[in-house]
Amino acid sequence: MTARRLVWLRRSCQALFLAFFLLLLVESRLPLDVYQDYSLAFLSDEDLRLWWPVTFFFQLDPLVGLTSLLSAGVLISGFFWGAAVLVLTLLLGRVFCGFVCPFGSTHHAVSWFKPSLKGDRMVRANRKSGGQRVKYFLLILLLAAAVLGLNVAGWLDPIALLFRSLALAVLPAVGNGLRAVFEAMATSDIRIVKLLSYGAEILVAPVFGYEPKAYQTAWLIGALFLTILFLNRIRPRFWCRFLCPLGALLGLCSRFSLLRLEKYPDKCTQCNLCTRSCQGAACPQPGESWQTAECVTCFNCFDVCPEDALTFTFRFTPVMTEKPDIGRRAVIGGLLGGVSLPLLGRLDGLVDKTGDPRLIRPPGSLPESEFLQLCQRCGQCMKVCPTNAIQPTLAEAGMAGFWSPHLVMVQGYCEYTCTLCGSVCPTGAIARISAREKVERPVKIGSAYVDRGRCLPWSGNAPCIVCQEHCPTSPKAIYLIDELVSGPEGKKLQVQLPYVDLKRCVGCGICENKCPVRGLPAIRTIAAGESRSMRNQILLL
Amino acid sequence: MEFDHRMTRRETLHTLLKLTGTATLAGAGFWPTAARSAAQRRRFYIEVAARFEGTDVKTLTRKTFEAAGGMQRFVSRGDVVVIKPNLSWARRPELAATTHPEVLQSVIELCQEAGAKKVRIADNTIHDARRCFAITGAGQVAKQTGADLIYPRSSLMRDMNLRGSRLEVWPVFTPLVEADKLINLPVAKHHSLSRLTLGMKNWIGGVDGSRWSLHQDINQTIVDLAHFFEPTVTLIDAVRIMTRNGPSGGSTADVAVKNTLILSDDPVAADAGAAMLFGSRPEEIGFIRLGQKQGLGTADFQQLDYRKVAV
Repeated sequence: MTARRLVWLRRSCQALFLAFFLLLLVESRLPLDVYQDYSLAFLSDEDLRLWWPVTFFFQLDPLVGLTSLLSAGVLISGFFWGAAVLVLTLLLGRVFCGFVCPFGSTHHAVSWFKPSLKGDRMVRANRKSGGQRVKYFLLILLLAAAVLGLNVAGWLDPIALLFRSLALAVLPAVGNGLRAVFEAMATSDIRIVKLLSYGAEILVAPVFGYEPKAYQTAWLIGALFLTILFLNRIRPRFWCRFLCPLGALLGLCSRFSLLRLEKYPDKCTQCNLCTRSCQGAACPQPGESWQTAECVTCFNCFDVCPEDALTFTFRFTPVMTEKPDIGRRAVIGGLLGGVSLPLLGRLDGLVDKTGDPRLIRPPGSLPESEFLQLCQRCGQCMKVCPTNAIQPTLAEAGMAGFWSPHLVMVQGYCEYTCTLCGSVCPTGAIARISAREKVERPVKIGSAYVDRGRCLPWSGNAPCIVCQEHCPTSPKAIYLIDELVSGPEGKKLQVQLPYVDLKRCVGCGICENKCPVRGLPAIRTIAAGESRSMRNQILLL
Repeated sequence: MEFDHRMTRRETLHTLLKLTGTATLAGAGFWPTAARSAAQRRRFYIEVAARFEGTDVKTLTRKTFEAAGGMQRFVSRGDVVVIKPNLSWARRPELAATTHPEVLQSVIELCQEAGAKKVRIADNTIHDARRCFAITGAGQVAKQTGADLIYPRSSLMRDMNLRGSRLEVWPVFTPLVEADKLINLPVAKHHSLSRLTLGMKNWIGGVDGSRWSLHQDINQTIVDLAHFFEPTVTLIDAVRIMTRNGPSGGSTADVAVKNTLILSDDPVAADAGAAMLFGSRPEEIGFIRLGQKQGLGTADFQQLDYRKVAV
């Protein structure tokens, strides 16, 4: 194949996979046209599920599979996709980085659209540098931490990072902006503008979400994402070259790649075009030793070389290429960091002593230590949650659980028969449960308690039964007792006082969500009583 | 309408034509019927019950409208009809927390047969609307009948003056007020504060905003909303009713089969009749009492053009 064609093949693959990633990202939500056959619904509890394989890119990502295997000893569903990528890397090098990775393609596109440097400066920038070892350091750190039971790969894994950034920060921010415009248009007196706004909303809502979404710490996620994009101004594909732990993993595997860059030094005129267009600082120039582990197989050097001094060929004779330049410091540093992180992460006592009461994990979540072995903090569950209840943590789960999911009931609540979050979790940190299981076991995520000082009837301010009305269990976990209470100025008031029956309460939080006392509601949900933890039980079972 | 721009000659002519046309039509409509209007205004109440268990729900619905003189009495050719079922909760139809999908389907079909230009299903649900519409069967009904399913969203909520005695400006779900004909299609069920959830209370699903505070004066707010929305007709689904654990229920143990439908153009009478199915006297229910007192209708439904039909 000619170099030109190869480059175009790469570009088409990148575009295709990026588009597919975005499609799956957008489709990670309940669509509008879901419906159940009600003649069947009288009989069966078929669960609402997503049609698209929304976790595909996580299955394709060997770092997700490997860290899950190391930390929890679990083979995630669809792990063979990741294994296939590893085998492909053994044969062809980092083709995943060059052809598939949507985050890599984003950087590639940004670097191409606005090249950071020109001419000789670019040539110098693309020479191999010690900074490229940082990614090995990060990889070793993540793997070592995973072995010790803390899986934080998702912080830096490119697929998880991209998904989280787009789903929790970029889409909601753009969506809210557009929605504000449409709402302004909808209030217009001019009929056509009004109709246009409805039309536009119908087009935009399926992509950006049907209702405004909000996520805690989304500003941080967004700022980090923009920073990482900005780094492309310093070096092309900065992230892939210096930071990406997945790139490092694939780099290590590419050592035996059959696909080799052949150099013909006698043809070379030292024009430096190859180095200038190199995306991975992999030393393509004849006379230098090609760095297989750094090469993202973009085929730019092959394409730009005017003298045919470079070509990619298959070599079946076992030739060891240049050893990946990891560096002893990266190994030692990574190991030290990786060992320290799980130990330091437990110092706050949130895993071993007592959890934060606000740490209400999604229904079906594994016990905390196992949860932290698997959660990728990718944001899938947060994106898919129809009520926007699942939020990334800041401090609720401690350092070790940063950006892992928890429910914030003033934002949303856990719908009684909804089990979407578990059905899209790529690693099974949230188990895949059916609605029937969730109701019948029952799966409790916490429990509610009444704050009598704030409660309208308890404080003698007004009759109110909103928490009881919304309580989804049957019989209801919130029950009412008729009582005469003293209202303002001692006036007697006949009201129904809400009480919580802890045996029945599943901690869904709809009571907290609908309570008329906003902000800090008069009935609140805490993690105590969650069925995933034996130690966190309130009642003697 | 804008008043601050100068009317062109064309516009003036248009407006004048419209005005004279309206006046003529109104006059023509009024003239011969004025004497009979009192008699015509007499409201009706029809209760249709199946004699045998297992009677087809769709047949029951058709018979109910037939007894009232057919759907064309309420829906004219070219009308945009909006149906307001109760789809508040993402519950399966058997749990009686939501309007029976087959009743909904027959009503839509009847509207379409009567020549409705468009039939819309609109409800501002409590649970996530997508899940509500999917699980209650409304999604499938919409798909099969071609009716529009209107998803509640913030751009469809508009602040309006309800002119109630308790509620003033409140966000209203606009499709309900932008209809030629509005059909209220609630399910009959238990409620812990207002005792029952019937037709008048169904309008809580017609507004948005801080609905959780309506409960502090539940009866008056229900009546205010019922006054504001004023449907063409109310059809109460009591095919199966939720007798306890309302309004959300969650267990078939809370459900009783009644195989009954109540159709009335008097919102208070419809609710009063439905209350009887729960073994309550209408005057026991606060919002029925208040509705009658404030002139919304009568709780004494037997006074109306009253018919009880067994199928």
